[in-house]
Amino acid sequence: MDGANNLLFIIAITPFIGALLPGIMIRAGRATCATFAAAPTVLALAMLAVLTPDVMAGNVIQAEVNWLPQLGLSASFFLDGLGLLFAGMILGVGLLIIIYARYYLSPEDPMGQFYTYLLLFQGAMLGIVLSDNILLLLIFWELTSLSSFLLIGFWKHLPEGRQGARMALAVTGSGGLAMIGGMLILGNIVGSYNLTDILAAGDIIKASEWYLPALILILLGAFTKSAQFPFHFWLPHAMAAPTPVSAYLHSATMVKAGVFLMARMWPALAGTPEWFYIVATTGLITMVIGALIALFKDDLKALLAFSTVSHLGLLTMLLGFGTKLAAVVAVFHIINHLTFKATLFMTAGIIDHETHTRDIKALGGLRKLMPITFVIGTVAALSMAGIPLFNGFLSKEMMLEEASHTVWAGSHHAVPILATVGALLSVAYSFRFIVHVFFGPVRDDYPSKPHDPPVGMWLSPALLMVLVVVIGVLPAAIVGPLVAVAGEAVIGGGKMPYYSLKIWHGITPALYMSIIAIIGGLLLLAMHRPLDRLWNALPRPEAKAMFDALVAAMASLSRTITETLHTGAISRYLSIFVVATVALGLIAASGSSLPPVTREMLPVPGVVLIGWVVLITAIGSVFFMHRSRFRALVMIGVIGLMISSGFVYLSAPDLALTQISVETVTIMLLLLALHFLPKDTPIESSRALRIRDGVIALIGGVGVAAMTYAFLLRDVSTISDYHLANAKTGGGGTNVVNVILVDFRGYDTYGEIIVLGVAGLIIFAVMEALLNGPAARRLRNMDYSQDRSRDRHPLMMVIATRLLMPIAVLVGAYIFLRGHNQPGGGFVAGLIISIALLMQYMASGFAWAQARQKMEYHGMIGWGVVIAGLTGTAAWLFGAPFLTSTFGYFHFPPIEEFELASAMAFDLGVFLAVLGAVMLMLYSLSRIARFAGETVNVEPMDYDPTNRVELLKEDD
Amino acid sequence: MPDIIEIVISALLVIAGLFGLIGSYGMIKLRDTMQRLHAPTKATTIGIGSVLIASLLHNYAVQGHLSFHELLITLFLFLTAPITANFIAKTYMAKHVAEDEVPDSGRDYGWTVYDDPPMSAPDPVTDPKE
Repeated sequence: MDGANNLLFIIAITPFIGALLPGIMIRAGRATCATFAAAPTVLALAMLAVLTPDVMAGNVIQAEVNWLPQLGLSASFFLDGLGLLFAGMILGVGLLIIIYARYYLSPEDPMGQFYTYLLLFQGAMLGIVLSDNILLLLIFWELTSLSSFLLIGFWKHLPEGRQGARMALAVTGSGGLAMIGGMLILGNIVGSYNLTDILAAGDIIKASEWYLPALILILLGAFTKSAQFPFHFWLPHAMAAPTPVSAYLHSATMVKAGVFLMARMWPALAGTPEWFYIVATTGLITMVIGALIALFKDDLKALLAFSTVSHLGLLTMLLGFGTKLAAVVAVFHIINHLTFKATLFMTAGIIDHETHTRDIKALGGLRKLMPITFVIGTVAALSMAGIPLFNGFLSKEMMLEEASHTVWAGSHHAVPILATVGALLSVAYSFRFIVHVFFGPVRDDYPSKPHDPPVGMWLSPALLMVLVVVIGVLPAAIVGPLVAVAGEAVIGGGKMPYYSLKIWHGITPALYMSIIAIIGGLLLLAMHRPLDRLWNALPRPEAKAMFDALVAAMASLSRTITETLHTGAISRYLSIFVVATVALGLIAASGSSLPPVTREMLPVPGVVLIGWVVLITAIGSVFFMHRSRFRALVMIGVIGLMISSGFVYLSAPDLALTQISVETVTIMLLLLALHFLPKDTPIESSRALRIRDGVIALIGGVGVAAMTYAFLLRDVSTISDYHLANAKTGGGGTNVVNVILVDFRGYDTYGEIIVLGVAGLIIFAVMEALLNGPAARRLRNMDYSQDRSRDRHPLMMVIATRLLMPIAVLVGAYIFLRGHNQPGGGFVAGLIISIALLMQYMASGFAWAQARQKMEYHGMIGWGVVIAGLTGTAAWLFGAPFLTSTFGYFHFPPIEEFELASAMAFDLGVFLAVLGAVMLMLYSLSRIARFAGETVNVEPMDYDPTNRVELLKEDD
Repeated sequence: MPDIIEIVISALLVIAGLFGLIGSYGMIKLRDTMQRLHAPTKATTIGIGSVLIASLLHNYAVQGHLSFHELLITLFLFLTAPITANFIAKTYMAKHVAEDEVPDSGRDYGWTVYDDPPMSAPDPVTDPKE
């Protein structure tokens, strides 16, 4: 059995792996692309075929791999009759759709993308029907919502496509969220998330007081997915998708997921009055309403969409009846509906493709022009109408039979009558499809001259049409065993009810109902013209308008909440943050006393005192001068330099290096930004508010100072000891700071460079958005020419920076290389190189300097993260955890022995990310300058003496 | 250490301190920015220069090895100090001195702070779109 288990896994992941192929293979041509999309499907089908005999014999194949056992989540799959039926449908129809789409898609459509989405969807769907763990099932469930979003919105250029996709995602996605809740409750009741356990615990579930909430939440998921009333409205809008998608998602697979779930959960949930009234009633209403709307739709695909809604309602109703026989009938109808509905969708696609219209009122008479399509479409539509000798008839008869003896709230007539009405309407719209499209006179005003499509396009529907007829004539022989094994899986073991798949059941109530439905349907069609006028005159609720209004209301509600909480006043956020921090500190400190002081105060040397006075003076100056921004910035620079000196004095050269370079870069960028901002900060808040903020700031500052003071007076054992002890032995470096950054806390650093890179990219993106808005207009109207020297790029500065460039780069390289053992490292090196570059940009202007270098800063950030990540993952190759570092000593004469650590490659990533981020920020700022009318100089310096001499010569 | 070297080093340090003080005092004493520009030049040239020579001597004679740090510091100082002064002067002129207050440049083109640079041929390397 082991082989079979493995096979099940492979089936489940084949579409996902296959999804990688078409996107690449499209370069080899459309036919190759389609072949590579079909290959995984064929493979999966073949593997399914290998497993089939076992399942048909009544066995259940299981496979399990623990994934997150703590959460009860395991990647476990199982294949029983129901799973086999659905997996076969998903893969089989998927294959036909892939062939069909090859001919349907026009050369302008990105076919590789289409097949990739399709295979992703196929994988997700397959996952749903094979999952043996409800959490896993939920993941696949949401995956179908996502991948169907991509498929429905495949024609991104069409607003209907985008809106339809969004609506489908919103409805099915929120249903999925509800279902997560329901499934978690279910798992809690049973104590296991394994589907097999849950199915076996039906009695416990139904007896639980949590049964009803779980049922409602799960049904919400199923109803939204299967487009049950009142959530049916998304399905017609999803018809904006390319027809292969409609045929696949909306006939065979996605909308059947809800039905599948109800069938799967049938043993656990069905059989109670709540189940009957919720599910059967919803199904019944959906069936009738869907059929009624379908009758009056002029768009071929809309007609089919509503008929699908109606048939899904029928299936839901059957499952809702809660009797075993009804469940088996539902299984049978799933097969039948799949065959005729997929055929009809593909037929509609062919008609659309050939005539360039789907409007029934613009069609007619196609019988003579498209004979093959006519035959295919008619057979399928007759089956949908429930005409004998076609498979739709069989399941419809059985459905009516079931309905005829169902009692709804004491009434013996409600269900049979409504079921007959549904069947009657179904006959009417099916015949409308045949008569209004294929019959009637040949017209001369088709948008395009219709004729039958190439073989590839009608092959798929033709195959399904053959199935329609064969099942219709010989049901028991063709699908009998499959229905039996799938039905058995649905009802969860136990005795199978007696049923027989045959055309003639004798004179039964169902036969009368059928006859009424067919005659009534034909009469209705005969009166279609006046009825259609009446229908169009009646006011109807417009689902899309209501949905849009609801979405708009939700959006404005969330905007109100967001805007109330996020006023955009940073002083407010900061005050909340500071007050909360101080309060937390006080709460933590209250009730406990400090340990005794263990350290003595050190004497204050004169140098330190002077530094301290300078620092305090600078801080005080910032306080008094902060409204004049340039002066405040100068003072901030002084503070930064004093702190760096402090680090030097306290023997922290690494921190000093970092502080100085960060300080330089920050001040440079701030100066650039300040150029485009007001030079003075206006007084905006009231005096009371300022006093309040001042008090809060004081409290925060005093709190931090007190805490630092308390800590410095006491010996506390810190993690530093460990780092100091292990830096050389464990990380191979004597510079503990660098070893901490690239080794001990490499994960943090990895996260930080990503954050830094993202920040750089966000600044770039925000600037991009800013410069497309009103800010750009304001900038264009600004005039900086008055307060500016004409000599923007002075000769001395240009020459000096050119000289400094190689020195700075050399220093950067040196700092980088020695980083592991002595002060330095990738971060500082990145900053030094960026300062070297910043100087060039400052000296000769951004555009001039940018035109002379070939580096892409976006890419540099990306490469930095990639290199750091790859260095980390390289550890996996040696069986070590992510980011484990290694080092070794090498000796190549004549160079002295040196050390190479894998951490150095990681440091290279840090270096690149830092450099890229800083330069990208500069780039963003310089873009503002261009909008503010900064012109591009063509010379490196404005007054080039050599150039001037030549110009003077020319003048002479 | 020979006494003579010790004396030289000490003398250099004293000179350095003196000129540093003079430079700083000048910053306060002198009237406007253009005059004040002159004061720190004393501190940066003779002042810091003397310290560097003293340090060089000390390293060579006392520690017994030649140090290049001082040379590098000198290089950077000579590179940055004039540029800083140049920028301060330019900024001051742009802000506070009107064009007619300065004498004529005596050339075909005016002073760089006030007049646009002479036009020249477009640069092929710069992005042609801009």
